[in-house]
Amino acid sequence: MATANTVHERIESARPALTTPRVALGLTLLAILGFTLLFVQEPLVHDSLHNARHAAGITCH
Amino acid sequence: MLQTYLVRGLKAGLVAGIALGLFVAVLANPMIAAAEGLAGEHGSHDASGGSDHHADGGGHGHDEHGNASGVLGVVSASLLSVGGGVFWGLLLGVVTFGLAFYVLEPAIPGTGATKHALAAAGGFVTVSGAPWLVLPPQPPGVEQALSTDARLSLYAGMMLAGLTACLLAGYAYTRLRDRGRVRALVGAAVPCCLLVGLALVLPTNSTTQALPAAFVAAFRAQVLFGQVVVWTLLAATHAWLSAGEDTTATHGPTSAAPSDPHPSSD
Repeated sequence: MATANTVHERIESARPALTTPRVALGLTLLAILGFTLLFVQEPLVHDSLHNARHAAGITCH
Repeated sequence: MLQTYLVRGLKAGLVAGIALGLFVAVLANPMIAAAEGLAGEHGSHDASGGSDHHADGGGHGHDEHGNASGVLGVVSASLLSVGGGVFWGLLLGVVTFGLAFYVLEPAIPGTGATKHALAAAGGFVTVSGAPWLVLPPQPPGVEQALSTDARLSLYAGMMLAGLTACLLAGYAYTRLRDRGRVRALVGAAVPCCLLVGLALVLPTNSTTQALPAAFVAAFRAQVLFGQVVVWTLLAATHAWLSAGEDTTATHGPTSAAPSDPHPSSD
């Protein structure tokens, strides 16, 4: 495995694999999951994750 | 290379997520049920019209949420929370050790396990530690002065501040390392102190609680323990996977070409 030893080299090394659709899909999935776990207050979602939020110390309603 | 890190982060996140799911099932769910029961028994603010939705007699607000309890009757909310714990671990693993660690590994001080430990510490401070300076974990049944929206904004803002402080601390340490370890450590401590200072000047979230203080303290200790275990597992699993894959890469099954037996890590 090639080893990139600076932050810049790491980004350059990843650039060929980072096509726009992949980046968009990945960021969207992560944003949806993060937003759902951290911030969504809609009652059904909130209630279903209620204990997980308290257990992780995330601020709740 | 990025894909390798993402897969490692996913695997580490799965391990930590399963552990967190078990933690929720075995420790957190009973503790939260006990908190709701205690809040219901005290019933000190069940008709006060405050912002808290939990202290309504143990049902933590499902009745107020319309048909939520009816739907959730099919699949227990507690069980879903266990799944939420698993996904929480997966998210942390992919974002922290899959993406952030891939990019920042060369800039993180130390080598090997030290890098992983520092990354985990930074992740903990960003996701939990910094927000908890302003909004410490609260069990159900605690009425809080700030509105939900204000608290969510504060939580997100402190996550950003925590991430900034960690990055600045790492940058300061690296820049000052040549002038001595003590100076480097002092330089790294400055952003951390600024983070604490920021928490002190932000609006305080006064609380009204019917729960015994000892119970609240035990709940917070339990939450802290759970998150420390999650980050420790993330770092340890990722370090173990990295070491294993590096060994395989160096002494691969074919050992065809002695290309680079000592890949540098810094």
